Amino acid sequence: MDRQPLIKRKTALSYKTEEQTVVRGYNVSDLAEAGYTFYDMLFILFQNRIAAENEVDMLRYETGEFLEHSMSPSAASAIAVIGGRPNLPAAIAAAVMTFGSAHGPGAAHGYMMHKYIERARVEGKTLEEMGKILVDEYMDAGLAVMGMGQPQHLDGDPRAEPTHIKHEQLCSGVYLALQRSIEKHFNARRKKEGKAFVAVNMIGAGNTALAELGFSPNAAWCIGCVCRGFSCAAHATYTMKKGHAWAASKREPMVQMLDLSMIKYKGPADREVPSQSERQEYARKQKEEGEYKKWTI
Amino acid sequence: MDNLDDPRLNFNYRTRERGTVPMDEKRDRFQWVSEVAYKNVHRIVSRGYDTTELVEQGYGLTDVLFIDFQSRIPLIEEDKMLNYVMVCMLEDGLSSPANISRIVASGKTLLTQAAGSSILAFGHAYGAYQEIGKTMDGILARQEKEGKPPAEVVEAVVKTRLNDPALGVSGLMLKDPMAKRMIARAEKSGVAGKYVSLMKEIVKAAQKLSQEPVDIDLLGATGAVMFDLGFTPEATWGILAVTRAFATGAHYCEEIEREAPVSLGQTLTPKEWYDGPEDRPVPTLEERKKVAKAMEAQTPEEWKQTFLERQKIKGSGWAIVEEIGDPRRKI
Repeated sequence: MDRQPLIKRKTALSYKTEEQTVVRGYNVSDLAEAGYTFYDMLFILFQNRIAAENEVDMLRYETGEFLEHSMSPSAASAIAVIGGRPNLPAAIAAAVMTFGSAHGPGAAHGYMMHKYIERARVEGKTLEEMGKILVDEYMDAGLAVMGMGQPQHLDGDPRAEPTHIKHEQLCSGVYLALQRSIEKHFNARRKKEGKAFVAVNMIGAGNTALAELGFSPNAAWCIGCVCRGFSCAAHATYTMKKGHAWAASKREPMVQMLDLSMIKYKGPADREVPSQSERQEYARKQKEEGEYKKWTI
Repeated sequence: MDNLDDPRLNFNYRTRERGTVPMDEKRDRFQWVSEVAYKNVHRIVSRGYDTTELVEQGYGLTDVLFIDFQSRIPLIEEDKMLNYVMVCMLEDGLSSPANISRIVASGKTLLTQAAGSSILAFGHAYGAYQEIGKTMDGILARQEKEGKPPAEVVEAVVKTRLNDPALGVSGLMLKDPMAKRMIARAEKSGVAGKYVSLMKEIVKAAQKLSQEPVDIDLLGATGAVMFDLGFTPEATWGILAVTRAFATGAHYCEEIEREAPVSLGQTLTPKEWYDGPEDRPVPTLEERKKVAKAMEAQTPEEWKQTFLERQKIKGSGWAIVEEIGDPRRKI
């Protein structure tokens, strides 16, 4: 049996022999026997250190609340993918991959925080001042300030403010100070512009706490997004076991997601297919008229 | 010119209706139906528990896994055992999920693409939790139906599955005590049940029947313990594949930090690794008429001949014989 790795890489994360699996120098079986938890392991893996208890408490809190968020792009994707009845991991993988620049943009928020904390240091400004600068720069440029607003929870994500409070209790630091300043100045400016209050979301709250715990922007993003993979596995499994494949059954008392009546078409009107003898002239004219460009994506 | 007037067609293609189908007013409108969770403007609720209230009370990720998948709060010893399993499953060096993550990372992608794709490594050999669950539930069902002693039924099944990567017994962990320690911990914690007992029987039978030394492996230990914790094989498959995806995020980071990205067309394949047809001239389109031969079989006998011929073509897929069933489990 070939037990050599497919790709050859120098790695500082782990090694595995016939005798043991070692992560950052610790035998994982010994860690489990000693009572370390999955939360501890994430600190060891990403940060090469045993975490303090208050840090583990914060991570337990965060990952517990990150896990389930009912219907969001990730859960919807998992449900849609399992409709074709592939193997379960395909649905979960698709769900994790929905996280990008709009759905949980954790890494982008982290890099934004780093940039402005560094500027506060270099420019000799307080984090409170830097929060206002960040808000003004983003809003003047017409950019969305990351970490604010959620399309479903109009009065603020129910998890966000409690996360901030827990963060204050357990591990307050520079990231929270900057984030709080961003939220204050963001809404002050909106108020001045006659716009409604927008609350912090789970990127603003959760990602800030993960950064404070020492997770890099990508590590924090990984924790947030992959956590959601668990609940997407549950949604996909539920749909696989208790739902109809294809999601278009006419036998269901409720119209299904992929019922034909769910399709609304806004494209070009139906048109005749040109024969091959007409084709070249037809295509030349169509290209010259350029109406097709309206539809090009 | 076309075939759209062929009388064998199921309906008239010349008079088909145009436009989309109107909204179905006779049935309820579409909604996302779920027994797992809901949310409203102010709450996120999993199996009836508000998730913010859960974490404020000190519950964490591993507790919520029991809630999401089993609709219950776990006993403390069950939560500890799940943590134990997940600690052991998080990272495994440069195995398939890490490799996939690194390869995806090398194309300069987002972390979520790399971590997400790593989950695809879990199939019916690597991390074969659905398969091992099917085997174990099959044995238990057969035992109940036939009323025979467990050892007898287990031996009959193991005899036919000795080299199955989804058996949970192999030569992989002869020197590594991790799997055996996990089983011992489950027993000591009082969470071991019928699946751990059954796995021990499977190990016993495999050791009796195998020519090579074998013992319980990580699939066998984690599978049996997770099933005794009440997770279905599908839930286990999902949970442990996602557990590993956290670590593949670290592999993504390290790949980006330590290695250069890979460009389209960059990677070479040495000719010495190639054992396909010798290099040959490309026929002109005129020559094609003489060179090419259609392959349609007209009789089952001809089909068998072409089938066997095609099986010799590596990479054609003809040599793979499998059944792709509905992933819902039927015992």
